[in-house]
Amino acid sequence: MTGTGKVRRVGVDLQDSDDTRSLVEAIEADNPDVELLHMPGLVKVTTTGELVIRRESVEKLLGREWETHEFQLSIVSYSGNIAEWDDDKIVIKWEH
Amino acid sequence: MTVKALYDYDYPAKDRQENFGDDILVHVLWANNLMFCAAACFRAPKAMPWSDFKAQMIDPWASSDPGYDPAAPAGWQVDGGGAIDTGANPTLEETGVGHKGLITFRT
Amino acid sequence: MAKLSMRERYSLLTRDLDWTPTYVDPKIVYPYTRYEGIKIHDWDSWEDPFRLTVDSYCKYQAEKDKKLYAVIDSFAQGQGHLLLTDARYLNAVKLFLQGVTPLEYQAHRHFGFLARHLDGPGPRFAALCQSIDELRHTQTEIHTISQYNKYYGGLHNWSQMHDRVWYLSVPKSFFDDGLSAGPFEFLTAISFSFEYFLTNLLFVPFMSGASFNGDLATMTFGFSAQSDESRHMTLGLGVLKFMLEQDEDNVPILQDWIDKWFWRGYRLLSLVAAMMDYMLPKKVMSWKEAFELYLEEQMLNGLFPDLEYYGIRPPRHVEQAITEKEYMSHQVYWVLYNFSHAAAFNTTIPTAEELDWLSASYPDTFDRYYRPLWDRAQQIADSGGRFFYGGLPMLCQVCQIPMGFTEPGDPTTISVRSSEFRQERYNFCSDGCKWIFDREPEKYVQAWLPVHQIYQGNCGGASIPDVLAWYGMQPGDGGEYGASPDKASWDEWHAQAAAGGAE
Repeated sequence: MTGTGKVRRVGVDLQDSDDTRSLVEAIEADNPDVELLHMPGLVKVTTTGELVIRRESVEKLLGREWETHEFQLSIVSYSGNIAEWDDDKIVIKWEH
Repeated sequence: MTVKALYDYDYPAKDRQENFGDDILVHVLWANNLMFCAAACFRAPKAMPWSDFKAQMIDPWASSDPGYDPAAPAGWQVDGGGAIDTGANPTLEETGVGHKGLITFRT
Repeated sequence: MAKLSMRERYSLLTRDLDWTPTYVDPKIVYPYTRYEGIKIHDWDSWEDPFRLTVDSYCKYQAEKDKKLYAVIDSFAQGQGHLLLTDARYLNAVKLFLQGVTPLEYQAHRHFGFLARHLDGPGPRFAALCQSIDELRHTQTEIHTISQYNKYYGGLHNWSQMHDRVWYLSVPKSFFDDGLSAGPFEFLTAISFSFEYFLTNLLFVPFMSGASFNGDLATMTFGFSAQSDESRHMTLGLGVLKFMLEQDEDNVPILQDWIDKWFWRGYRLLSLVAAMMDYMLPKKVMSWKEAFELYLEEQMLNGLFPDLEYYGIRPPRHVEQAITEKEYMSHQVYWVLYNFSHAAAFNTTIPTAEELDWLSASYPDTFDRYYRPLWDRAQQIADSGGRFFYGGLPMLCQVCQIPMGFTEPGDPTTISVRSSEFRQERYNFCSDGCKWIFDREPEKYVQAWLPVHQIYQGNCGGASIPDVLAWYGMQPGDGGEYGASPDKASWDEWHAQAAAGGAE
């Protein structure tokens, strides 16, 4: 099995916790092709192309203010590069 | 100097033979018995006769396997060298096994 | 007054606190970043994607700690250790505390060094955060696992053992190799290779193993640390790309380090392979499956096509690792089984169910080469004995593991390579370890090899009991699990529980 012609996925593994539930819903809303895989204690969120996490979307679902820095409390691992991280959004994708 | 450094990088080898006086480290591999996860490492005098090395070091170790028969080993070889004529009862040095060398046998 | 953006705050608290000294040559302030041959032209082009500043760092780390210690308290109060699948599982925890926790501490020390000695303020601050993270990991691991130390063996003297015990020289020498390298090699070895490339092969087996086996405390620690690890992964990949982008001349140097540190890390992880296939009563997945997912799929098919852009190819000797996935874990656990009389963990023959799981997970090799060994061990046990290796093994000069590895594709022939340097012979388990030695022999001739040190009289005496005392071990720390105090305690506590609940 080689990588030729295979589309590389990007993604993030998140802790399965109360706060993360809203985070995952927000990611699903902003990334239509996303796939979720539930494992003990963990949710694997993957897509092709790029994965976007928007502060506004998370705040809407969480019902309170949320800083993108807070994302650190939920993240277990990620696949791809963190291409952007500012006050409003985080973008993960492969560069080349 | 293969090591990149800001100074002259040159240190003595920790296990050089002179640290062992008249002894050497010798490895022994029972090539066809994987019960023994790896070859054994012994410390023995260079002048030790083969019969002593076998009886005092190899046999007790190999007897960890209850099925070991001290008469069974054959095909004694020095790694990178030749066969060992155990009948001639050479010293370890005479077998040609050097410090940290390897001897193999089969049963 | 408007709140500063993340970008502005980051710039103010890192780059804007830096200055170029006029009173001294910058090369004197930063003496370590030129001698490795790596060329950096613009340190300012390195930026931390997380854009952490000291205020947000402290805030979020404090929150993680509070959450974790609450769980540890509850674990202690609820006698959480009784929820484990079996006390046999704790041998994985012993391996972790003795082998991994000390490496966290060493990482803390060295990232502290880098926090001073890297020229750029961005990388310096990232290194400082990582240094504090690693100390946090050391502390939280000790606190978490101390809960088990109250009831089980092997956990009472990890620090002394790490410095002296034969199997622990494997992780210790791995890290010492990195600590004694220059800053750029260290960053390639640890930040990139260990904390990015190979990280899932270390973390997932231990933390999922904890989760699957009722070890709530370690599992919680794992999740708490993983959020720090995502920053470490980012630093690892970020610093590699930074070095690759700074100058074309860096590429061959970095390729060599990627080659070296893949192999050193892979050999170190063989202890994890043995752990996940044999020490977990409830299995997560086989080493083979983990390797296929985390290394072959995610890294070789995910990361490396990305790095091709820079002229980087997959590591040398990776083909051997792919071939070895079919049998390597069995070889290494067999080493541990052979020598657990001299270790601070127990080993035992897998149950019939576990042997069948191993057969199913390794259809091409287990029944042919390794089940016969377990059958033989069982025979010996049935007649009242226990197979232990009655001697000391041959060690690889580089990875320091007993040389139980075999020729690629031939699990029946032990692999031996050697080199001569200044009229002395050195032995290796593989082409990979030999290649590492031949590149820098002056370094590896100084290796403190446990077996050779015992024979030089540097380990407390000539007998096994003398050596074990010098190792800081106590009776019951090692040996056969079936005869261990751990098992006796476990059976007693669970018999009580069963009797108490029977009405």
